[in-house]
Amino acid sequence: MIQDHIMFTGINILLAWSVYVILLSGSVSFANGAFMAIGGYASGVVTTKFGLPLFVGIPIAALGTAAFGMIIGLPALRTRGIYLILVTTGIAFCVKNAIESIPYVGGVRGMRGLVGAEPWHVWVLVAIVGLLLWLLSRTPLQRILDATREDELVARAMGINTVYVKVIAFGSGAALAAIAGGLYAHYMYVINPEHFGILVSVFVVLYVILGGTNNMWGAPLGATVMTLVPESIRGLHEWRPIVFGVVIIVLLLVRPEGLLPFRAPSARVRDARDG
Amino acid sequence: MADPVMRFEGVSKRFGGIQALSRLSFDILPGEILGIIGPNGAGKSVMINVASGLYEADEGRVIQHRRDITKLGTHQRGRAGIARTFQNIRLFRRMTVLENVLVADKRHICHPFGSLLSFGRRGAEVAAALAELDHMRLADKADQLAGTLPYGDARRLEIARALAGNPSVLFLDEPAAGMNERETEDLLADIRACRGRVEAIVVVEHDMALLRVLSDRLVAMNYGQLIAEGAPAAVLANPEVVRAYLGTPDA
Repeated sequence: MIQDHIMFTGINILLAWSVYVILLSGSVSFANGAFMAIGGYASGVVTTKFGLPLFVGIPIAALGTAAFGMIIGLPALRTRGIYLILVTTGIAFCVKNAIESIPYVGGVRGMRGLVGAEPWHVWVLVAIVGLLLWLLSRTPLQRILDATREDELVARAMGINTVYVKVIAFGSGAALAAIAGGLYAHYMYVINPEHFGILVSVFVVLYVILGGTNNMWGAPLGATVMTLVPESIRGLHEWRPIVFGVVIIVLLLVRPEGLLPFRAPSARVRDARDG
Repeated sequence: MADPVMRFEGVSKRFGGIQALSRLSFDILPGEILGIIGPNGAGKSVMINVASGLYEADEGRVIQHRRDITKLGTHQRGRAGIARTFQNIRLFRRMTVLENVLVADKRHICHPFGSLLSFGRRGAEVAAALAELDHMRLADKADQLAGTLPYGDARRLEIARALAGNPSVLFLDEPAAGMNERETEDLLADIRACRGRVEAIVVVEHDMALLRVLSDRLVAMNYGQLIAEGAPAAVLANPEVVRAYLGTPDA
């Protein structure tokens, strides 16, 4: 039981960061549950149908999902705001329906025999992704992403190819969600399309909003709170979803910019002195 | 005469039933500060938007150093050295003053993912950005959020950010709007100080006193057309320009 909590908290942190990476360039994605599904199924095919090990299956799934994300991102990212939410939600529905209609991966009954993922795998990846995001936050690329997110038109006028930046960010987020999906699938033993419904995508976005969209620590905090709070109030039985909903609403009312609203600058004056 | 830095050749732009630019032609010459005047709706900002690629010209050509850039996208114009400010100041408000200047570094803009490997240069880049801010008397506010700057500082930061990309041509869209007399005088000195940094500066402005002393040449526009061009005193005395601003006696 505790092992499950450790595993799912780590997976949810990776998923939250997958949304955060896309959000860095100013786009919001409600398709990350679908990217998670593609990652889970693709790595499952690699391990169960081709007999390759998990550490081969997950990178293949990540690369394939990144390519898929970038291909659909190219037209989808021409939209913004509510329209992008609708487009990405549509992608989530399409992917789920597509998987349900593919007998090769088990259709609605799902895929079985997926094994090999351990909680420590997830947490090593959490540490690696966290380190990469922290390093990113100290580079000029972070500023280019920030500028694209803040005012895309001005960023373009300055010479930033905002389409390219946004598509790469979208693909990276898709890859990260696919990695989370692959680990999830190989921990669960059996997966079916219902595991990756639209609610998964909605919850992952909520993790980031609850934790705070302005810095990399908000996403893991939101994911941890939203993974562990429902478990800690399990004793409330049928009242549990209602209490959980009220907790989220109160948190967002009290901290509308998330639990960690600050933004860490990518450079400070002291950097000039530090060299 | 030297080759122009930029040339508008019969550029037209229409929005529905409104002809915003109508066969507009003029040159931007090397080393000059070119003032653009015209009443509201004359098409001045549309001209800047066409120059910077935010709008595509319906007809005509935009030339930069003999290169036809008419079909280049907005980001390609930025990379080609066309920098601009906006009539309504558009800073990256949630980024610091320093970050607003740092982000304009062309090396990173042209190779955003290559910038992941630029750890070693960070100190030098910050020092260069601070020097840029120092020119605009903003160095002491480097770590402040851009959105918290007072109006005059925000205007100067927008210019500093535009200059940080080492542009060839700098378009300033009503830089003195909303400034008091003292701030306008400071701005005048700041723009003059920029002269050696770029090949040409184009200033769209309603403040005639500012343009009279700042500009080497003036272009006057009305209804998207060029109505006068030449030395500031001559253009400001041109009857058609006077009529465009004040109307006809029987109007």
